[in-house]
Amino acid sequence: MQLNILQEIINLKNSKKEFSVITDTKTSKTYIFFANKPIDINLKSFETEINKLYNSRKDGMIKDSDLFIKHYHRPIKVVIVGAVHISQYFVEYAKPLNLDINIIDPRGYFASEKRFPNVRIINLWPQEAFQHCPLDDKTALIALTHDPKIDDPAIHEALKLKCFYIGALGSKKTHENRCKRLMENGFKEDDIKKIFGPIGIKFGGRSAPEIALSIIFQLMTEIYKK
Amino acid sequence: MINTFDEKILDEAQQWIEQKKTVILATVIQTWGSSPRPIGSLMIVNDSGDFSGSVSGGCVEGEVVRQCMDLIKDKDKFKKIEFKVSDESAWNVGLACGGEIAIFLEKFSDAA
Repeated sequence: MQLNILQEIINLKNSKKEFSVITDTKTSKTYIFFANKPIDINLKSFETEINKLYNSRKDGMIKDSDLFIKHYHRPIKVVIVGAVHISQYFVEYAKPLNLDINIIDPRGYFASEKRFPNVRIINLWPQEAFQHCPLDDKTALIALTHDPKIDDPAIHEALKLKCFYIGALGSKKTHENRCKRLMENGFKEDDIKKIFGPIGIKFGGRSAPEIALSIIFQLMTEIYKK
Repeated sequence: MINTFDEKILDEAQQWIEQKKTVILATVIQTWGSSPRPIGSLMIVNDSGDFSGSVSGGCVEGEVVRQCMDLIKDKDKFKKIEFKVSDESAWNVGLACGGEIAIFLEKFSDAA
């Protein structure tokens, strides 16, 4: 692999781009492939097969060639509401995973960079924060403040934009009350049922790091289901 | 949805190169039967014999390091190696899981 290609791969990964790397195993020459950019002239005759593997996101040898393709996936966007203790462990445990974590908290003393180094923190109320960090059906929304003033508007937005995973912290009772409020606000029961509340996989742990772990496990399970 | 773990191995390779080390990248390019690590798994080896990442569950890494060290001394820039099911002799290097893998070894260099 050429050194300039190595540098380019690192830069593309850091800027959260989606791309593939194609290696010619007869020469070790390496190419970077983007779905929406013209293909290198040397790869032109394999374009159909390359696109096939790119679309299925499968790593492997390209049919009837000496070319090997490896994909670099865009990280999955996760928006956490609440720069709380659990969020700190979530960030810590999620480091080796391919997640793009954004934390929203209107409370400045929680949302400090010292508490969350190297994480994107948005020190605004959810409605304003979503203008800088929009939700969609490929985003996960995790509400951890258990303060309805902050969590509820975020959950409203997540339900409207059909986030693939919505989880909310709080006891069964807290969650029942949350569901009631959502019904009063006109959300349908079927949609409300999709919210993971109380959040996380039950395994007995109740400390902040254990809850963080149980949320990550639940989130990853949902990622692989979609 | 497809998620991968956030592989830092190329960043590590870059750091070794900055330290003026010769570095080999090993990639699992083909597998047959059950193999411990999927196609696309990466490992790096430098001229001090340090390695990072994995191409199997620990079954063949030692042999891969040795092959990489040979390639570092060689004028060739790349080679393909294969591992098959280990035979009766427990001393043989091979995959106990019964699979087969092909690994592509390549030097990082100014030009391919």
